[in-house]
Amino acid sequence: MSVETKPAQPGSYPEDKDLARFIQFRNFNATFWRVVFISSLVISLIALLALLYNVVNEAFGLTAVENQIEPETLVLRLQEADMLEVAVLSSEDDNDLAAGISGNPNAIGFFGYAYYKANQDKLQALMVNGIAPSAETAESGEYPIARPLFIYSSPQIMNKKPQVAEFINYYLTHVNDEIDDVGYFAATTASLDSAKATWLKAQNQTGAALPAVNPAAVEGKVLVAGSSTVFPLTDRLATRFTEAGYSGEITVDNIGTTGGLRQFCVEGKADIANASRAINTLERAACRGKGLEVAEFRVGTDALVVVVSRENTFLKNVTVEQLQKIFTEAKNWSDVDPSWPNTPIERYIPGADSGTLDFFTETIYGGVELASLPKDDLVEIIATTQDPQGKKLLVSKGKLRQLENEQLFYEDKFLTLDPDKHAQECAGAEPPARCSLPARDQENVYALVQEFVVAPKVVATWPLVDSLLKREAIVAEAAEKFPNAEVEFRSWITPDFVRKPQASDPALAGVRTAILGSLWTIAITILVAFPIGVGAAIYLEEYATGTANPLLRRINTIIQTNINNLAGVPSIIYGILGLAIFVRLFEPFTSGAALGAAADPTTANGRTIISAGLTLALLILPVIIINAQEAIRAVPLSLRQAGMALGATKWQTIWAHVLPNAIPGILTGTILAVSRAMGETAPLVVVGASTFITIDPDGIFSKFTTLPIQIYQWTARPQAEFRNIAAAAIVVLLILLLSMNALAIILRNRYSRRLS
Amino acid sequence: MSENKLSSNGKYALELQDLHCFYGNFRAVKDVNLKIERQKITAFIGPSGCGKSTVLRSLNRMNDLIPGAYVKGKILYHGRNLYDAAVDPVEVRRRIGMVFQKPNPFPKSIYENVAWGARINGFKGNMDDLVEQSLRQAALWDEVKDKLQQSGLGLSGGQQQRLCIARAIAVKPDIILMDEPCSALDPIATLKIEDLMRELVQNYTIVIVTHNMQQAARASDYTAYYLMDRTDRAGSLVEYGPTQELFTNPKDKRTEDYITGRFG
Repeated sequence: MSVETKPAQPGSYPEDKDLARFIQFRNFNATFWRVVFISSLVISLIALLALLYNVVNEAFGLTAVENQIEPETLVLRLQEADMLEVAVLSSEDDNDLAAGISGNPNAIGFFGYAYYKANQDKLQALMVNGIAPSAETAESGEYPIARPLFIYSSPQIMNKKPQVAEFINYYLTHVNDEIDDVGYFAATTASLDSAKATWLKAQNQTGAALPAVNPAAVEGKVLVAGSSTVFPLTDRLATRFTEAGYSGEITVDNIGTTGGLRQFCVEGKADIANASRAINTLERAACRGKGLEVAEFRVGTDALVVVVSRENTFLKNVTVEQLQKIFTEAKNWSDVDPSWPNTPIERYIPGADSGTLDFFTETIYGGVELASLPKDDLVEIIATTQDPQGKKLLVSKGKLRQLENEQLFYEDKFLTLDPDKHAQECAGAEPPARCSLPARDQENVYALVQEFVVAPKVVATWPLVDSLLKREAIVAEAAEKFPNAEVEFRSWITPDFVRKPQASDPALAGVRTAILGSLWTIAITILVAFPIGVGAAIYLEEYATGTANPLLRRINTIIQTNINNLAGVPSIIYGILGLAIFVRLFEPFTSGAALGAAADPTTANGRTIISAGLTLALLILPVIIINAQEAIRAVPLSLRQAGMALGATKWQTIWAHVLPNAIPGILTGTILAVSRAMGETAPLVVVGASTFITIDPDGIFSKFTTLPIQIYQWTARPQAEFRNIAAAAIVVLLILLLSMNALAIILRNRYSRRLS
Repeated sequence: MSENKLSSNGKYALELQDLHCFYGNFRAVKDVNLKIERQKITAFIGPSGCGKSTVLRSLNRMNDLIPGAYVKGKILYHGRNLYDAAVDPVEVRRRIGMVFQKPNPFPKSIYENVAWGARINGFKGNMDDLVEQSLRQAALWDEVKDKLQQSGLGLSGGQQQRLCIARAIAVKPDIILMDEPCSALDPIATLKIEDLMRELVQNYTIVIVTHNMQQAARASDYTAYYLMDRTDRAGSLVEYGPTQELFTNPKDKRTEDYITGRFG
């Protein structure tokens, strides 16, 4: 049986040139396949990154939030109401106030500087925080109750409409003639000079002085809008401008600083904006978005003077904190400072409709946060705040009753409930929850104020990449479309998002219920699918293969084929199966009714966690079986033989050697399968997951929802914000999956290390 | 099957009577008649495919693990047929241990490798003593006594094979079957195993399958030569006798061809 050895025939193998070409081809072939494999890897990486990009892009970004009522407004309203309540006199006529204060040593009041000046003989102005009111201290901001007066325009407008530039020139030249009369402090020479320089720069002119004004030389319209504080000043100058020969029309609208800047920057309806505060960055951005640079002209300062009569001997200086007490909570002077006389404070304040009262309140009480108000004030806000039009209460009587029905506001008094009825109900057989609950605390009431009064509403959202790259354009767009909204950067994934249950408002909705539902369901799935799957795999690999009986072998082959096919059945089919079997057929058990454990016996049906868990278990069972079989098959035969040769039974061998060696592989397969179950939506929709549920599941017979269901349901909503919270929920789901997988892998690795 | 049924003091440990081995429809071994003497080393030799491993594996019913494998004929162990319906194959394997061609220690500690067999067979004595005694008998104790808790897979091939032998003798078998135990080992490790076999044979009956005729000549007391029948491809026993005699004065021409290297 020797092998015949012939010398190789010439030409059987490539040589010389052929060899070179052959090798070249072979190397090309190898390179080609390597490139194919690397490309596949790159493509899958790109797909993964694209998915992450998509999700993260939606989960973070700018949002425009509109409050029903600004929290600051609520605080101010409350303070104003308090001030008005304790005032001796509240009048729109400053002369009444001056008259009331003069000669009364216990009186105190405040008004514009002009009125103080007119009554200087009878009144004295107080220093505030040690600073006396003067043009310099007011303009520098040292004197606290002062606000700057600006007019805003833009080089673009001034160039297009020479009459606007001319009017501003006239304004800056003549403002100091009028400002004392109106009652404001004149701007310092330095800031007026800087305003003039701004004008020159906007007109591309050089030199230190403004050119001479000739109102008659220009024509056309000049539109001015804005602050009511600046209004009288601008109005006077407009009149003088016309008197000086201007033939065109000049209008001055009194619509408030914010409204004026909006018309100027966003709507393009104003050439000049009057403002009693500096323009903010958002407004500036909005202007830039319209192609307008902002030119700022400081024209003066408004300051309020706190006055007492000449007869008052103890007050020369007050602090802002003392003013807060003096105008509201204190009764006698000695309540504020013990060294002051023990006589009642008599307050004379401007009327409720005056801007002066608003300004004073803003300045003195401006730093007070809504959240820090006492509970009584917050309850008052809930019970009394009306909508911006002043037509109806924001929290209706009915709603208030409902809130009080849920939980009392006070232990000892009632807003809407009848005390007798409450006592009666609490003594009854089935006392409502409020009887045992403590009264709402400040935090709780504040949350109600937030939810029902402030009621922030997300009106628009932008994706992350746009938010980062096109911030200015977005701000401009928001300023145009949602004038009352605030644009802020928002992460949709917050601790609150994870903690809170589902809600109809996307800004308040959370995924706690869904996370718990997912965890409960998946726990059932694992508990059922893992032991059954591994058991079946052991049988198929270790017992079924041992038989020589052809019939049995045939049956085993059929079983095996079916399991392989089941792994490829669409998941919705399992949903239909689960609906038919677990939800319908076994309803008494899956609803818990047969075991007396139904969550709610009146509505008990089979759409429970256990039905969902069992359905998902069926779904992943084939995958677990197949993976476990692979893992068991991979255990070397020699180990089984070694075990058997020692006189071990089959089961002893399997338990001691086959399973420990197969378990890492089994776990890997199980992790994959469970991850799949965790992300399943379709079968659960069929089985009857609740789409809107706010109650946490508390057992296997609870109604439930899961994270994928929640995501699915949110993405189907038309409002854009639901897409954002869907993306946030996806991130939560991914994190949940990754941490579960990481845990399983750590356990598996620790186990494998112990084995080897 | 209880202890006393299996133990008597005959001269032969195993008697094979008209043994035929089948894999499904295929008859792999035919008509083997053989008496294996107690406390001797019996070597099975022969070319590949001659059925010597099949016969060896049928001696402790390891072939049962292969689907479709069965035997006809009898293997008497202490006067009882191992293939009787009443005989539990698990018990048979406890009495008749086996060492495999490739060392296959469990992926567990050295200690556990030895102790596991004893434990699952209900050993009640002092486990530490049993492990030490078994490792000493397998001439491995001095090499591993300081690392009993380390994995058995960390040992060299020869050490692993001796660990497998220690593992086998820890369950106190009568007979140890060795299926080409040295084929994966270098010559030095092989010699160590052979020395060990000579030690062990004082207490145990050993049956060894080997491809290495020098090994059979060196280490065994009896030798059985198997050969595949060209016509039906079934292996059969050609010649059996004391090793000395079979190697120096073979009765059969085919045996002579094989041991002189003229065949194969």
